[in-house]
Amino acid sequence: MSSTDFLLVAIIFLPSVAAGAIALMDGKAVGTIRGMAFASTVVTFVLTLFLWGAWSGANADSPGDIVLLCEAGWIKSWNIYFRLGVDGISLPLVVLTGLVSMLAAGASWSINKQHKGYFILFLLLETGMMGVFLSLDFFLFFVFWEVMLLPMYFLIGIWGGPRKEYAAIKFFLYTLIGGVLMLIAMLMFYYGSGATTDSFNLIELANAASGSESTLSEFLSPETQVIAFVLLFIGFAIKLPAFPVHTWLPDAHVEAPTPISMILAGVLLKLGGYGIIRIAFPLCPYGAAVAAWWLVGIGVVSIIYGAFAALAQTDFKRLVAYSSVSHMGYVLIGLGVWSIGGDAYTAASRDYWLMGIEGAMFQMVAHGVSSAGMFFMVGVIYDRVHHRDLNKFGGLMGKMPVYSGLAAGLFFAGLGLPGLCGFIGEIFVVLSAWQFNSTLAIVAASGVILTAGYILWALQRVYLGSEYKGPHEEDITPINPREKSIAAVLLVFAIGLGVYPAVVFDMMKDSTANLTETMEQGYENAVPAVAEEEPVEQAQAMNN
Amino acid sequence: MTETGELLRNLLMTAWLLPLAGFVVEIFFGFGLFSKNPRHSKGAAWCAVGCIGTGFVCSLIALLVWVNKTGGHDTYEADKGVEKGWMSVIADHNHGLHPHGDGEHAEHSEHEDGDKDHAAGGEQGHEAEGDTDSHDDKDAHAKPHNEEASIEGGEWQLASVTAEESEEHSETEDSRSAAEFPTAFSGRLYTLGEFGSLIVSLDYYIDSLTIVMFAMVTLIATCIHLFAIGYMSDELTDDYVDHFAHTSDGKHVHRPGRFYRFFAFLSLFCFSMLGLVLAGNIFQVFVFWELVGICSFLLIGFYTERKSASDAANKAFIMNRVGDFGFLIGLMVLWTYFGTFNFADINDEGQVTGGLFSMISRSTEGEDLGNVRVDEDGAVLITSPEGEVLQDADGNNRTIPYALLVVAGLGVFGGCIGKSAQFPLQTWLPDAMEGPTPVSALVHSATMVAAGVYLTGRFYPMFTAEVLLTIAYIGGITLFVAATIAIVATDIKKVLAYSTISQLGYMMLGLGVFGWAAGLLHLITHAFFKSLMFLCSGSVIHGCHHEQEMPKMGGLLKKMPITAICMLIGVLAIAGCPLFLGLHFSGYHSKDAIVASALAFSEKNPGHFLLFALPLITAGITSFYMFRLWFMTFWGKPRDQHVYDHAHESPWIMCVPLLILAPFAWLCAYGGDQGDLYVMLTKDAPAHIENGVTAVGDGVVLPEIQEMYNQHEAAGLWALTSAGIGFVLAFALYGMNLVNLDEMKKNLGAAHGFLANKWHFDDLYDGLFMRPAHKVAAFCAWVDRTIFDTTLHFLARLMVIIAQWDRIFDEKVVDGFVNLIASATGDFGERLRVFQTGRVRQYVMFIVVGVVILFAVVFSTFPG
Repeated sequence: MSSTDFLLVAIIFLPSVAAGAIALMDGKAVGTIRGMAFASTVVTFVLTLFLWGAWSGANADSPGDIVLLCEAGWIKSWNIYFRLGVDGISLPLVVLTGLVSMLAAGASWSINKQHKGYFILFLLLETGMMGVFLSLDFFLFFVFWEVMLLPMYFLIGIWGGPRKEYAAIKFFLYTLIGGVLMLIAMLMFYYGSGATTDSFNLIELANAASGSESTLSEFLSPETQVIAFVLLFIGFAIKLPAFPVHTWLPDAHVEAPTPISMILAGVLLKLGGYGIIRIAFPLCPYGAAVAAWWLVGIGVVSIIYGAFAALAQTDFKRLVAYSSVSHMGYVLIGLGVWSIGGDAYTAASRDYWLMGIEGAMFQMVAHGVSSAGMFFMVGVIYDRVHHRDLNKFGGLMGKMPVYSGLAAGLFFAGLGLPGLCGFIGEIFVVLSAWQFNSTLAIVAASGVILTAGYILWALQRVYLGSEYKGPHEEDITPINPREKSIAAVLLVFAIGLGVYPAVVFDMMKDSTANLTETMEQGYENAVPAVAEEEPVEQAQAMNN
Repeated sequence: MTETGELLRNLLMTAWLLPLAGFVVEIFFGFGLFSKNPRHSKGAAWCAVGCIGTGFVCSLIALLVWVNKTGGHDTYEADKGVEKGWMSVIADHNHGLHPHGDGEHAEHSEHEDGDKDHAAGGEQGHEAEGDTDSHDDKDAHAKPHNEEASIEGGEWQLASVTAEESEEHSETEDSRSAAEFPTAFSGRLYTLGEFGSLIVSLDYYIDSLTIVMFAMVTLIATCIHLFAIGYMSDELTDDYVDHFAHTSDGKHVHRPGRFYRFFAFLSLFCFSMLGLVLAGNIFQVFVFWELVGICSFLLIGFYTERKSASDAANKAFIMNRVGDFGFLIGLMVLWTYFGTFNFADINDEGQVTGGLFSMISRSTEGEDLGNVRVDEDGAVLITSPEGEVLQDADGNNRTIPYALLVVAGLGVFGGCIGKSAQFPLQTWLPDAMEGPTPVSALVHSATMVAAGVYLTGRFYPMFTAEVLLTIAYIGGITLFVAATIAIVATDIKKVLAYSTISQLGYMMLGLGVFGWAAGLLHLITHAFFKSLMFLCSGSVIHGCHHEQEMPKMGGLLKKMPITAICMLIGVLAIAGCPLFLGLHFSGYHSKDAIVASALAFSEKNPGHFLLFALPLITAGITSFYMFRLWFMTFWGKPRDQHVYDHAHESPWIMCVPLLILAPFAWLCAYGGDQGDLYVMLTKDAPAHIENGVTAVGDGVVLPEIQEMYNQHEAAGLWALTSAGIGFVLAFALYGMNLVNLDEMKKNLGAAHGFLANKWHFDDLYDGLFMRPAHKVAAFCAWVDRTIFDTTLHFLARLMVIIAQWDRIFDEKVVDGFVNLIASATGDFGERLRVFQTGRVRQYVMFIVVGVVILFAVVFSTFPG
């Protein structure tokens, strides 16, 4: 096992090992358990930074390819491999996962019961998330996908708020449905990849789809691609979440404990976007092209609908949850602005799509920072006054000035203020959208007004004003150093990404460029097949 | 990049980034590091003053360097037989002014901006050759652009030169152009993102407009920082009592002072504002555009305990965002069709060439003079800086539909409407007066709100005639509506706020009727006199212990003479008062220029007579409400003895800024369209304003610059008459109290109410947008809760019911069937028991019969 292999495996399984160690500990040694869990997340985060270093070396040799491959046979009779690797698309999310997990572990001091079980599940969850981002075998991907599900179910269902059981089962069922659709698509690819051998290898499947190494087999026909894409898309859209399959999110967020909300918003939602870009796009380029209009349309509706819904909330956490729906809409738009097949599609159009994809990717990272920060800030005040009613706050700026300042910064990042991370993703996505469809671009851009509306209104009701209007006023104490440092780290990342976004763009630019090129190839390979069969339908598809 | 360019860049970057450093220091260390008793420390304030003051010095040096270079090519110019640049004017004046004394502010300020003393010191070398006859200068400046274009081969003229012309230039002057001083500098700071051929970056762009804006902003900001040290001094306490914020039990809010935070926000604002001006691409303008917006939000809402303040802050930011939505649409169009945001590009030789603006080229002759070049389908051609039409990968000409160019222009202007509080987004500005007065002076009159005008000026080459006409009408409506409201406002700051809106309307109208230079000149003069007036009003408010209502003032001239005189200078300036010896108040020049442009425009386009009538009438209204303000505040008898008795002149730290600003407010535009400021501003004017634009689509003709100059005398007379009437009325009503005002108010109740309610815009928007938005929001939340979740719950329940049916089916049908089979088998067994007799003979009998039957069946089925 080479050192990079070890790095990849360690990033995934170090948290599990720590979870195992915690399982052997005395449940009453809360301090030790916390320390152990936190330390393992810190080490994992540091490992992801090492991975970044290792990746930059490898990426320089073969720009844009998936590198640091680590492969071992698993269930050989079924051609299932334990196959890991990293490229510019997964790397930012891996680092983000490391960061958010570390900060969420730091935020877990507020958990006040059954610490042992909590931290075991928490660490297993991190293993699942890392595994999803790093696995390159569809089967392995699916396994990790499901591995995430159970710890999350229990974390919400046991440590959650008053309606925790409802929220947990809602979350579980939604995600499970998505998983099942993914399973179907997975089997379609597995049995359809007959041209090579039955395979779950994502790289091989993507190559087959782009036509670069093998001919398209019968199963990967354009029609099948569309079906597979739709199945995968629904699965990932639930996770994203996109309108209209988003309703699990507000409930899950409201009931989940603060650190779990941070993970949920900071990482889990990104799995949806990542799934689209890692699996749905490269495996069915033709399907993606046909469905592009739907992606953008759903994205636009999510933005506007989420923003309006956020405006109407009176629960602070629910408001932040709906802001996630709104912000993740930009991801769909950015991914979907692929006008291929249209009359005006040129090489320049591909650059705009590239910009959209990178904008979407950046938006995922930025949202991971800003929304985790916003949820944490809600959690800080909730820990003190034990309510979240927006109309029963006020005047916190005077009582907790440092907290309020940090919160304002993080909320401004969510608002999309230039100089902070939220701006870059949103604006780049919106700028790339006009060439795809001007009307949708305009509607998406109008989101900036609503976003400003609900965030500023919330800030005003919570932090400004002459006095605090809710219960437990006597419990309002200044922010403590632990909370301060978590918020400060998030704010520093928000500012850093906003001022110098190139650090993320440089990571992913080779891989995204590769992706757009191979997908264009894949589309062009698929078009003749369609043209032979049904020229009329193809014309319609072109119009889309 | 030349050495000069690098020098200018470094100077302006220093001026730009210092306030940011100041902000960081002040927000993190301003509280506590400078003193043992942090709430009483002025350390943060001096830090802020130091930063912006140094910034001013840097800007000033930059200005001098620029002036020196552009005016400094005497030898070359002499070769050409052309008069020297306007530098000679300065040198001329300086010559007569040695040695300079302290009491000569007024005379010193004849010179451009703050360079008065330094110019004299630094430009010794030019004096000898600078003694040109001033008459010649005037001729030179009457048509500055022609000379400019011809003498500076390397100069970058925005979209002005046709392909032929530029080729000519490059052929004849190629050798020289490298050595020439270009008037625009640009370069990249760093790249934000790179997507194939598309690059978004942070750049800088320095031309004469940038430099003038830098000097103006930093000077005014320095003065206002100083003023704020005095004005905000009541925050230097551990227990600040906010008399305008109440807790639910009716008491005043007590809180610690926040002196340092105020200055931190001011520094952040200065950084953002200077970044906006220095920005080298339109995207970057948008970035800092939003940042000044958030600074404005923070400063308006500085008194966070006051509901009215946080409401006003939200309103300001959200209404700005409405404008920015338009801006964003403009950006999308530009980005999609031009693929660049840059104002300028650097070519292979490191020279500055046209960026975005040169991608639209205009005809320089014939019927289409000044119009954008289009192809046979009417789509606008996209050209290179040399005027050649660019082609895409397939070899087709790159074009943008004309309508989309209009959309882009309108979109960008939409942002300007929001930022500069133009109709219909003007309502946030009066509310923004909730912020402390220094904020109103700096952010909401002199600099940030003028950013909209600045951008309109900067983006001028991209505006089509239709867009310009829209700009003119928006400006016209705004200046009139706001002025009428100012007549009835009684809060001293509100009067100034409406006056600001109205004056911004003037600038927009000026720009819209093709008076590019007029609009921007008014931007500068207005910045000086309005910041002066706001500071004076702040001085009054401070002196009267936070009384802002003019009906409670009166007779304050005796109590605070410095403030009163400075305010009078401001009033005379805004009213546009001329004076002997050419020492006209600055507003006279700038407003005259705007009215002249409007007059020239309406002569060419009689259908748009309103665009001349509105500013003319409003000049009278302006004069009326400004003198009304002055008379009500400083003249006559005290209306509220209590306020009067406690009133006092402000401390020196607040008076000195007034005394610095007053001369600028008076004389910064000295010389009018032959003056230094004007010439400096127009150095890099968009080229097509020179010759005007002949008729376009709907028959609008845009006048050439000479036609505007020709109207100055006439326009000046018209405007003066109008302003004079306004003054006489104000004097009669408020100076001599000839009429009973209460009586009048009663008689004109309906009109007064309409104006006092600000034309009901707030109510209208509340009903049109706010309520519907909340309704829609509530609807979305309802849909989520009711439709989606109910559907979901229904499905879940359906599953449970199905499961129950499944259980019943399982228990009754499946199990029943199994049981049935079991019992049937049992029964069958029972029945068979009768045959199980145990007698062998009987069994053998059964077997035999069975075999026979079997054989019979087999044989009958398979015969043969």
